[in-house]
Amino acid sequence: MRRTWMVALALLALAGAAAAGSLTLDVKEHVLGNGMKILMIPRPGVPRVVCHVYYKVGSINERPGITGIAHVHEHMMFKGTRIMGVTDFAKDSEIDRRIDELMDKIYREKYWKADGGDKAMIAQWQKEVDELVKAEKQHIIKDDLWTFYMKNGGTGLNASTGNENTGYYVTLPSNKVELQMLLESDRMANAYFREFYSEKDVVMEERRLSENRPGYLFGEQVNAAFYAASPYHWDVIGWMDDLRKMTKRDMVEFHNATYIPNNAVAIYVGDFDPARIVALAEQYFGRIPKGPDVEPVRTYEPAQFSEKRMAGEGPAPTSLQIMFHTPPEGQPDAAPLALLADVLGAGGGFRFGGGGGGTGRLYKLLVRDKEMAVNASASSRAQWYVGAFQFSATPRVDKNVQPEDLEREIWAEIDKIKKEGVTEEEIQKAKNRGEANFLRSLQSTMGLASRVGRAELNRGWRSILTDLDALKKVGNDDVKRVAAAYFVKDNSLTAVYRRKMGR
Amino acid sequence: MKKTLTTILAIVALFAALGLAQATKPSDLKYPALKYDPPDPKAFRTELAGGLRAYIQEDRALPLVNITALVNFGEIYVPKDKTGLAGLMGATLIKGGTKTREGSAIEDRVDFLGATLAFMAGERTSQLTMSVLSKDLDEGLAIFFDVLRNPEVREDAVKLAKARLIDQLRQANDQPSQILSREFEALLYGDHSLTRQPTKATYDGLTPADLKAFLSKYFFPKNIILSVSGDFAKADLKSKINRLAGGWNSRGLEIPALAKSFPQVEPGVYFIQKQINQGYISLGHLGIEDTNPDYFAVQVMNFILGGGSFTSRITTKVRSDEGLSYNQGSRFAYRWGFPGTFSGYVQTKSSTVGYAISLILNEFDRIRTAPVSDAEMETAVNYYLESFADGFQSAPATMANFANLEMTGRPRDYFKTYRDKIKAVTKAQVQAVAQKYIRPDQAAILIVGDWEPCNAGGDKWPGPLDKLGKVHRLSLRDPLTGAELK
Repeated sequence: MRRTWMVALALLALAGAAAAGSLTLDVKEHVLGNGMKILMIPRPGVPRVVCHVYYKVGSINERPGITGIAHVHEHMMFKGTRIMGVTDFAKDSEIDRRIDELMDKIYREKYWKADGGDKAMIAQWQKEVDELVKAEKQHIIKDDLWTFYMKNGGTGLNASTGNENTGYYVTLPSNKVELQMLLESDRMANAYFREFYSEKDVVMEERRLSENRPGYLFGEQVNAAFYAASPYHWDVIGWMDDLRKMTKRDMVEFHNATYIPNNAVAIYVGDFDPARIVALAEQYFGRIPKGPDVEPVRTYEPAQFSEKRMAGEGPAPTSLQIMFHTPPEGQPDAAPLALLADVLGAGGGFRFGGGGGGTGRLYKLLVRDKEMAVNASASSRAQWYVGAFQFSATPRVDKNVQPEDLEREIWAEIDKIKKEGVTEEEIQKAKNRGEANFLRSLQSTMGLASRVGRAELNRGWRSILTDLDALKKVGNDDVKRVAAAYFVKDNSLTAVYRRKMGR
Repeated sequence: MKKTLTTILAIVALFAALGLAQATKPSDLKYPALKYDPPDPKAFRTELAGGLRAYIQEDRALPLVNITALVNFGEIYVPKDKTGLAGLMGATLIKGGTKTREGSAIEDRVDFLGATLAFMAGERTSQLTMSVLSKDLDEGLAIFFDVLRNPEVREDAVKLAKARLIDQLRQANDQPSQILSREFEALLYGDHSLTRQPTKATYDGLTPADLKAFLSKYFFPKNIILSVSGDFAKADLKSKINRLAGGWNSRGLEIPALAKSFPQVEPGVYFIQKQINQGYISLGHLGIEDTNPDYFAVQVMNFILGGGSFTSRITTKVRSDEGLSYNQGSRFAYRWGFPGTFSGYVQTKSSTVGYAISLILNEFDRIRTAPVSDAEMETAVNYYLESFADGFQSAPATMANFANLEMTGRPRDYFKTYRDKIKAVTKAQVQAVAQKYIRPDQAAILIVGDWEPCNAGGDKWPGPLDKLGKVHRLSLRDPLTGAELK
């Protein structure tokens, strides 16, 4: 045991601490032969380890027809493997194969034919499927992985899919990290998509939950209009038609192309010995063969050359959004845009408790002094391939303020910033906040795992610190420059939403 | 590249030599023993000037300090005609400023320091929380205690906060989930300080003088417990706080009489119309207090029934087997000093509302009538035992836990004895508490959804909904006036 420790220590030559000014982040790194990255942040003390696996795949890796599949796939990763969740794999897979055959026939009849196909035939096939599903149950161990994690004290047990990446989370007692290595490497290598069709129903219910959130459907359309070409066009949940019609074959292809070790990062934060983590990772993740490289997203967002406007109404508060296309993260203009968002009002008074957000320009001007808005904020989202800067405000309907009134006010402020920029004090405040917020983010082991793990997938974890450095170098000329470059009508989408009464 | 490969080959060879077995099934894994003793609240507790109590932990990992004042004050201490006062206090304690500082000056300074300062007033407790860089600790503490001791609640801040809170009222019937949770409690607790809702009129009637009266009535040292952690020397911090709290006097605490009797709810279906494509459902009745000796058995029982996520019966049946929903389960909710609620919950498309409810009711019945399995017991008990250390992962959370424990009057050895009490739960107790605290015959089934398709049902469970009990159609209230909407 001891000797393993020594050798693995030598391997940790790759380990690195990076610093931005006085701030440091100490992350130990190890790369497996198959290209998978293992990151470690030891936090001795309470015997728990946050264990996360991140894959560089999300909804932007989908295409029309299979939108939502990254997220459905994340669900399917909990439905067992060739080893987990099944008592007799041979018998189970035979039933599963027959279900797929029948469902394929049903889909062709139902979805390929314009008139919805032969209803009687579909019903007959569906009856056969129902019987097979019933027969398959005797071979299935329900939620096997989840049960193992929970009875071993797994908390924070979850997974999430975003536009750009997908994460699988569990926090375990520090003597049980091997369980995560086994289960996560097993589902990377041996995924088997049982109960695919009922799980699609679950995801459709998840989509309906979103649809019943007031304003969601408008927001989905605004997003689709803002991103015309790039795959940020659709929401992570996907379009209902695609959820309905996606097939098991789509799922297998998606999995095989993207759930490979060279497209993944595992990160551990907590009370552990890094040498032990490296040894276990070699043993479990190291056994999975490397896959073909995954091509980055092809389609970026082309210039708009025209102003976009959207209007909607429904059961949510009246509101205004103005959005502008900006460069993706890591580009030189990302830092001044982030700083400007903070000065204008990141969080923007949406927080009632006071403190941050109460000092943004938009809050002071529109909420406090002019009493025209209930909330007013700005945010800068520099994503992996495309960026967006957004102004949001909700008008004081009790004073009969209209969204268009707020639009005029925001443009007046934009014009002022283009000419004068912002004050030195505002710039310093944003820098101080950036630094302190970074330190605060190091307090939570889960937050840290998520931030470092995700950053690693795109530009490497050190980008967290280089971004902070870039923020510290921003001056007023940079602010004026980015305001002039991006806050123009031909680069904007303005969305006005009104509450529809009497529904 | 070549070098890495060689190293890896060496490692692989080494594993082979050491005979490190690679398990293929989790049941093959053997874990080294792990002993964990939770921190003892006594080791962190201290009394400061004026009887101010505090839990303090040095934690030098980062140059930050976190401080929270937990105050024994919340909305339920407010009389009916001042409903909404706690919420208004939440929005104005900082923004209203202090005797010597304007609210916006406080916010500007806090933000400039990269600190955070927030105040929240809840049902029965309130919290002022600050996070500040340790280099700015003196200034941060001075602001923190100024806000706590000398709030001025200026008129302009109150006026603005009221307008924003009233605007928030307009949204009260937008979210089906918000309607469901509010109306479920209204149904179970009846007209009580726990369920009262502010209106435009109650907000309009509140004045800065009202806020100040409540602040002086409840914000004094003996009614506050601090939790502090971070980058400081404990003795040094204590003397700083003693200086800032010096001369701050306590008064007698006057807690209003709080009724603990609740209406008898007629069992059956309660339906609220909303034109959406799912039904949002809660079914249940009042539960227990967390000081109840059966609490631990109830935790284990509910984990098996519907609290243990994917390992629980309701999730397995309703979501995993039937694909009826994304979110479902059962919960015992707890509140300080009152019985909480017990409920099963699910959101499902309109045509399967009746079916999903029937499945949950079956599970209520099953856990009452038959003993749970050994495997279910093992999973539930081990979950609580093995995840126990989770609550102590961060110093701020640990100190806050201790402060809460003392505030709500739970025993100081609560954490020390927690695992033994979980371990002692038996299968017979699980069934006994299921019979005692789950009463399907008394359940109110509240549905927010679209009546026609929900009532019609579907293939597996055709309607009408009155198969589940007498149907009561409820109206929503206009959140601005409190008047019933037709």
